Amino acid sequence: MNGSAQRPIKVFLTEAGGFSLFVSRFFQNAFHPRFEWREFIRQSVQNGNGSLPLVAVTAFIMGLVLTVQSRPTLARFGAESMLPAMVAISMVREIVPVITALICAGKIASGMSAELGSMKVTEQIDAMEVSGTNPFRYLAVTRIWSTTLMVPLLVILADGIAIWASWVGMNMKGPVSWQLFQRQVFDSLALGDVLPALIKSIFFGFVVGAIGCFKGFTTAKGTEGVGRSAHNAVVYSSLLIFIIDLLAVQITELMGLN
Amino acid sequence: MGTQEASSPRPGQHEKVLSLRGLELAFGPNKVLRGFDLDLYRGENVMVLGKSGSGKSVLIKCIVRLLMPTGGSIEVLGQDVLALGQEELDHLRVKVGFLFQSSALYDSMTVEENLRFPLRRHWLATTSGEADGLVDEMLSAVGLAHTRKLFPSELSGGMKRRVALARTLILKPEIVLYDEPTTGLDPITGKEIVELILKLQRSYGTSSIIISHDLHVARMAANRIALLHEGRKYAEGTYDEFRSSQDPLIQNFFIFM
Ligand SMILES: Nc1ncnc2c1ncn2[C@@H]1O[C@H](COP(=O)(O)OP(=O)(O)O)[C@@H](O)[C@H]1O
Ligand SMILES: [Mg+2]
Repeated sequence: MNGSAQRPIKVFLTEAGGFSLFVSRFFQNAFHPRFEWREFIRQSVQNGNGSLPLVAVTAFIMGLVLTVQSRPTLARFGAESMLPAMVAISMVREIVPVITALICAGKIASGMSAELGSMKVTEQIDAMEVSGTNPFRYLAVTRIWSTTLMVPLLVILADGIAIWASWVGMNMKGPVSWQLFQRQVFDSLALGDVLPALIKSIFFGFVVGAIGCFKGFTTAKGTEGVGRSAHNAVVYSSLLIFIIDLLAVQITELMGLN
Repeated sequence: MGTQEASSPRPGQHEKVLSLRGLELAFGPNKVLRGFDLDLYRGENVMVLGKSGSGKSVLIKCIVRLLMPTGGSIEVLGQDVLALGQEELDHLRVKVGFLFQSSALYDSMTVEENLRFPLRRHWLATTSGEADGLVDEMLSAVGLAHTRKLFPSELSGGMKRRVALARTLILKPEIVLYDEPTTGLDPITGKEIVELILKLQRSYGTSSIIISHDLHVARMAANRIALLHEGRKYAEGTYDEFRSSQDPLIQNFFIFM
């Protein structure tokens, strides 16, 4: 009884400790003058392109559905004119960043940990090391920077798509001019809505890359280890995304931005 | 023979290029190496024989410091490997080639990019033209000039091993460490790889340590065999001496011969 309760705690502590060390190693190497630009660009293009379709479709559906579903409720309170503002604020502040980050956790973090894990198991990382290229800098630093940049960019793009989808949803109950809709949206969005969401997205991106690389670099031998790493990468990065989201709402609250 | 001599090498056969003394390595309670000694002289092929899991890969990974031994000393080309800083270590690693057991080609790169990868180091300052020439030279040397644009997944096991060999030798190392060069290949391809290793060794004048449990490799390539058993050097000798030995531990390796 005692033993079975101790195991998860032990696993949690070793993983958390290992991840902290990994993150500090990232910061020691992140600003090294010999930055691997080519690998960074290759990763950014690959990760951005790979997640774009799913992120775009999801953002469109969320924007549309939230608009159509909220209309009756708002109408009951006679607040139908608030619809564009309400949808835009909930999309930009919460739904789009979190959904985009979760999609990236599922696609990018798992892909990275599987790729790096199989490189580790087949000695490719060792081969890199003996050929004088620092594998941490070449593989991990570039990947972590690339998701830290790409996830916020995807979020901005998804924001735009979700807002447009909301206008499409408005049009389902009679025509609404895009000009008018757009003005209502932009009048309602304050810097206090946009900025915290963007900063949050940067952290989400960092977590996706850092967890993906951490699980990849610490993969145990064998193909089974590669599968387990990919699975864990999704679980850990999703959990961390929610934790960061929870902290972010507290911080914006304290700063009076809510 | 003291270690001082290595820093002022004598010419010819007796120049020592590598020396291991009392090498120890433990993973927690698992003591894999328990004081292993080995010398390698210029132009020589030494084979380290040992059964699976005896620590052969661990041993040569220590030599290029992919693993840090817990005790003992390693001297390569007159340098104390365990005391080197990162930059000096990287310079020494140019002179020590490593052929990995799993070939370890980079999956995401073509054959050509795999060969160019070791040339990226800033201080080698290879121009694009020079690099092209070297890639051509090495690929023809292993008979795979037509595979430049292919990815590793499009190659057979034997071809992968050849490309890996070309990638290892592209920096013209003085010492090459081969980790089970024939394991996982059919006997005919294995023989071709050993012949290729010997051919390249003659043209580039390298010294090598070959790790294997396969005595066919020893018969073809080794000037000397060292048997690794329970973390120590159990016996040392030529192939013929091993062949005629009465020691049951040594005879075990001849079961399939
Ligand atoms: N990174 C590692 N961590 C822990 N144990 C290891 C590691 N690498 C090898 N070992 C252990 O060291 C022993 C020797 O392994 P190895 O050198 O790969 O054997 P082989 O002679 O077949 O090449 C094995 O018991 C293996 O489990
Ligand atoms: Mg081995």
